[in-house]
Amino acid sequence: MDRILSDFIVSLRHAGVRISVSETLDALHSVRLVGYEDRESLRDALMAALPKSAPEKEIFNRCFDHFFSFDYFADAKSSPDAQQRPVSLAADVPLSRMLLNGDQSALVMAMREAARAANLTDIQFFTQRSLYALRILDRMGLPAMDGQIQAMQATGSPGAAQQAAALEKARTMLMDNVRRYVEQQLVLNTPTATENILSSYLRHAKLSMLEQQHFQDIHVIIQRMVKRLNDLHSRRRKTAKRGQLDFKKTLRKNITYQGFLFDPKWKKRKVERPDLVVICDISRSVMRTVRFLLMFLYGLNKAIVRIRTFIFCSNLIEITTIFDEYPVEVAVEKIRLGADLPILMGRTDYDQSFRDFKTNHLGSVTRKTTVLILGDARNNYAEAQTGILKSMYERSKRLIWLNPETPSFWGTGDSEMKKYAPFCSMIKECNTLHHLEGVVTSLVHRHH
Amino acid sequence: MRTLHDEKFSSPEAIRQGFQEQGFIASRQIATTAYLAYHLEKPLLVEGPAGVGKTELAKTTAAYLDLPLIRLQCYEGLDESKALYEWKYGKQLLYTQLLKDKLDSIINRENGFAESIDKLHRYDDIFFSRHFLEPRPLLKALQQEGGAVLLVDEIDKSDDEFEAFLLEILSDFQVSIPEIGTIHAVTKPIVFLTSNNTRELSEALKRRCLHLFIPFPEPALERNIIRIRVPGISEKLGRQLVAFIQSVRKLDIRKAPSVSETIDWARVLLILHGEELNPDLVRDTLNIFLKFEEDIAVVTERLHQLTTNAVRSAGD
Repeated sequence: MDRILSDFIVSLRHAGVRISVSETLDALHSVRLVGYEDRESLRDALMAALPKSAPEKEIFNRCFDHFFSFDYFADAKSSPDAQQRPVSLAADVPLSRMLLNGDQSALVMAMREAARAANLTDIQFFTQRSLYALRILDRMGLPAMDGQIQAMQATGSPGAAQQAAALEKARTMLMDNVRRYVEQQLVLNTPTATENILSSYLRHAKLSMLEQQHFQDIHVIIQRMVKRLNDLHSRRRKTAKRGQLDFKKTLRKNITYQGFLFDPKWKKRKVERPDLVVICDISRSVMRTVRFLLMFLYGLNKAIVRIRTFIFCSNLIEITTIFDEYPVEVAVEKIRLGADLPILMGRTDYDQSFRDFKTNHLGSVTRKTTVLILGDARNNYAEAQTGILKSMYERSKRLIWLNPETPSFWGTGDSEMKKYAPFCSMIKECNTLHHLEGVVTSLVHRHH
Repeated sequence: MRTLHDEKFSSPEAIRQGFQEQGFIASRQIATTAYLAYHLEKPLLVEGPAGVGKTELAKTTAAYLDLPLIRLQCYEGLDESKALYEWKYGKQLLYTQLLKDKLDSIINRENGFAESIDKLHRYDDIFFSRHFLEPRPLLKALQQEGGAVLLVDEIDKSDDEFEAFLLEILSDFQVSIPEIGTIHAVTKPIVFLTSNNTRELSEALKRRCLHLFIPFPEPALERNIIRIRVPGISEKLGRQLVAFIQSVRKLDIRKAPSVSETIDWARVLLILHGEELNPDLVRDTLNIFLKFEEDIAVVTERLHQLTTNAVRSAGD
């Protein structure tokens, strides 16, 4: 019986519920306590031990319904006329006997057993259905039964013929059931197989090429990436706090105890939060990438980074407050639509935008600031204003330029990338989620 | 000690009935999960919207088993000195003052500095022994002779660090105090953790717990709850008000009325001698279960329709 449970857990894992070994043990003990008899108790028990969040519970319910459906061979008893007959001929083939006797539980067990022997849990694609169904039927003893049916028909006696007809009928039912079982297993197995493929495809696909329909999936992937970064960093922050004895502070604190050193104080290293100034080109060619970069950055914990965000097209404005007021998704959408914002969506103008930045915001760049510029550097042949970029570079800790174009296009046509390059600490190609993750990781990790 | 309670926890059904005697109506799922948590000796993490009886479940278990309930309310900034133990600094200081002469004589009799230190070392652990330990809820729960019910309330309000710190207690029922060593539970307490899901709890914590999600109750269950908790209320009114609340929960409002608010409302209607729901009565008492101005506005708008629907559906 425990093997059934472990099979069930495998299919849960396939469906995306994370289950550890200790949880498997919990499930095992729970099942020992409540037993397999009552389906709903079993569901309650496993529900307590295995899925640990609302979405996981939903997946669990779906899998449970598929997996523990006991309605196979429910119609097995509906061919009773064979039972009254002397079953001497049928008795020597177990499968025929089970079918003629309408032994539902034995049939289900035999099918499960055969399915395991045929490695049904490996099934991946719908084209494999017939293959696996055949393998299972083989292992259940269908060839022997077929032989028996033929033999019966050959004898020609009316009793045997009738039994052969009953067996034929039962055979169709058997095939139906096995096929249905295989299909359910396929449902249990495949969604994640395809999901995994999709997810790795999305990670490396060009952001500008993605369809609207995948946005939801991308959000999920970004959330997952961001969570990992947050987890990593919060752990590191904690080790950074461990320090040496702060003798001055200890003495001062313990004066109240007549100089007895009761309460030692420790030196605390102040953790530096990366100070980020993000400047994004939001002309149509770059907007997609901007959207995901901002989602990434603002997903990071407030304790990890402090961000000021500017966007520009024909002119440049600060939009930090929008992110303070609205959740990230809403804010990004607002920026995309550009409603209520004093931004001009004409030709991309690095000249005007850089000058705007210099007059209004250059003070926000300090020795501690990392400046992140996202843009294709296509300036429509206007003045490049490398001087302003140079002063930003000199004032900042680092200046990183992210360019959504592939490197071979940098500097071609109206692209000023080559002119800007000397004033960047780093230039990176950035047009897939994979690139984005790399950039953000390096941002967070440099700051110990 | 546990065996004494085994009878009360012999089956989910026994638990359900026992809880009912305590005035807590448990669904089959709640009873089964409590049954498992008890027999597997695992902490139980209870999640669900506010006011569905998460805390009540722990209280009821304590009352049912006649065990002390030790409650730890979590909040941001909660740390081990408030949750686990603290040294009684005052007592330590007082004792050093009182024992000053004694210390002097110990030290003075020896000549060398090194020897004095040596001598002192033989005594130093005294001040960091159990006598000077102030147990906080977690340690108290481990030390209860007869076992206890430990309720860690609203764990999602605490910091990540505290959550990590809880892991040792939850998996092994022991705590490590650097100066003393590891303290094991005298009797393993029954542990409940509740969470309102304001943030995602860590995988590690979830892994160590059984998990129970209590949703808003089904109409039948909620009627049952009202019948038990507000005995004086008429069957008809009970049905009507539950139907009304259930339909309010389906509306798009900021805070859906909880079970405890349904009970409050039932009590108020009882005091007002309400015979059956009518729009005026409902309008006057809306603020019992709706706590936001916007929500009241939304419901008032549909008051007539909601009331007639509730009365009609309860009549069937």
